[in-house]
Amino acid sequence: MTADVFLFWFLAIVTLAGGLTTIMITNPIYSALSLAFTMVGVSALFVTLNAYFLAGVQLIVYAGAVTVLFVMVLMMFDLKHEVTAFTRGKISGMVKSGIVAVLAGILVGSISLTTDIFSKSGAAPEAVIGGDTTKELGKVLFSKYIFGFEALGILLLMVAIGAVALARSKGGTHAKQ
Amino acid sequence: MGHDIFEITINAIKLIVCFLIIVQAVPVLVWAERRGSAFIQNRLGPNRIGPLGLLQLAADAVKFFFKEEFAPANAVKFLYYAAPIFALIPATVAFAAIPLGAPVQWNEHIFRLQGYEINVGIVFILAVSSLAPYSILMAGWGSGNKYALMGALRASAQVISYELALGLSIVGMIMTYGTFNLSEMIQAQQAPLSYSLLGFTLPLNFLPAWGIFYQPLGAILFFAASFAESNRLPFDLAEGEAELVAGFHVEYGGFKMLLFFIGEYGHMIVASALMVLFYFGGYVIPGIPMETLNQWALEHAPDANFASLLAGLITLVCFLVKVVVFLWIFIQVRWTLPRFRYDQLMDLGWKTMLPWALFNTILTATLIYVAHL
Repeated sequence: MTADVFLFWFLAIVTLAGGLTTIMITNPIYSALSLAFTMVGVSALFVTLNAYFLAGVQLIVYAGAVTVLFVMVLMMFDLKHEVTAFTRGKISGMVKSGIVAVLAGILVGSISLTTDIFSKSGAAPEAVIGGDTTKELGKVLFSKYIFGFEALGILLLMVAIGAVALARSKGGTHAKQ
Repeated sequence: MGHDIFEITINAIKLIVCFLIIVQAVPVLVWAERRGSAFIQNRLGPNRIGPLGLLQLAADAVKFFFKEEFAPANAVKFLYYAAPIFALIPATVAFAAIPLGAPVQWNEHIFRLQGYEINVGIVFILAVSSLAPYSILMAGWGSGNKYALMGALRASAQVISYELALGLSIVGMIMTYGTFNLSEMIQAQQAPLSYSLLGFTLPLNFLPAWGIFYQPLGAILFFAASFAESNRLPFDLAEGEAELVAGFHVEYGGFKMLLFFIGEYGHMIVASALMVLFYFGGYVIPGIPMETLNQWALEHAPDANFASLLAGLITLVCFLVKVVVFLWIFIQVRWTLPRFRYDQLMDLGWKTMLPWALFNTILTATLIYVAHL
């Protein structure tokens, strides 16, 4: 077993364990913290694929900003009642598992229908080893995929404005007089 | 990590040394801070133990080791004990990616004076430091104390807010030099300064091409934001003594408290090192290009290996001197400025520094576009 293979399996198992802990543990704080741990694991997996820039951005955006906000908000709640309300019931548990299975099926199906990564015939694309992929990434992002990129930016802007509008109209410290 | 045993060994030792630099610099910094603050306030400071009071910190460390081990009754034990350890990680891991001196060529091996060379060094350092709020939040929540939780929420909200301004203030720098690689950035700052725009060239040969001359606004924003990132005055809302006792580490004592200390000073060291790297030419001695230094080292060392080692050590000393200057500014500012109010802090971050950082980015992009027309 070479170092790369060992690293991949180690990181994959650790990341999956983090992900499973996120959805199976009952304490929301631990759940959010293991979500952050999963993000770090995914970022490390990006590093093994030589996608250093993506790894860094993954850490900055998801682990460093989004999940920190989750943890912060969770810490302000009194969580004792919701722990019991959330984990009761066998039938609802089965419904939840079923929904997850359907979602996973839809995901795998849509990926296999739109791309050919599951067919073994096509050779893997030429990997850029040790090179600087940041420049290529930027060029592709701002030329070929510019529409999707800008559309996502507008979507995020709309979400931010919507959140501010909702927060101001429904009471709270910054409500309109 | 390397091709043969010799290289692997040296590289492994380098990682340990990088960690030890952070940990061992802290007592010296604490001493400098206490003595410095004492002189600023017209006192003497700790001066009894050892020459100039230098052994005071060793005595303190011994005392911290032998303090009683306790956890508060309401604490979440796992988070309470994990938080101080996590406080060490961001600063030490980020510091290892910073080039401290010119690479040393020893026979066929090239050793860089840094823990590891990463091609997207800036992104890596930003990414690792962005994990800092977790240890604060874990400490605040795990202590089971209202003041600790409030301090943690304040501190992490502040760190997250200023991360944006911090990241955006470097973007201008990245665009100017066109690289994420810290070593390449230092290479680019060696030449003499000259501005060229629209065919006009203004040579200022007596100055080096340091980043601060190209990005003065970015440098100010970056330095201010790094104060907030390391929770130092004037941004140390995390520990407003009057209202929050000591903030997120109010329940910590002994060596656990010291670990938070090391984390905070580690952030300071990383911020100062980045300031030197981005805006003050890194490890290169101002006015002396690397070629001249290498030539001088060749004349004064027995062979090429030792000459390279000598040049590396000289650049290391130069880098450390520059870093120490910024560390002293950190300390001086702490004992000069008062603390912000919380709404002032948020206003400064979101309504002042973020727009100026955006403006700096757009201005730099426009200037680069015009210059390349």
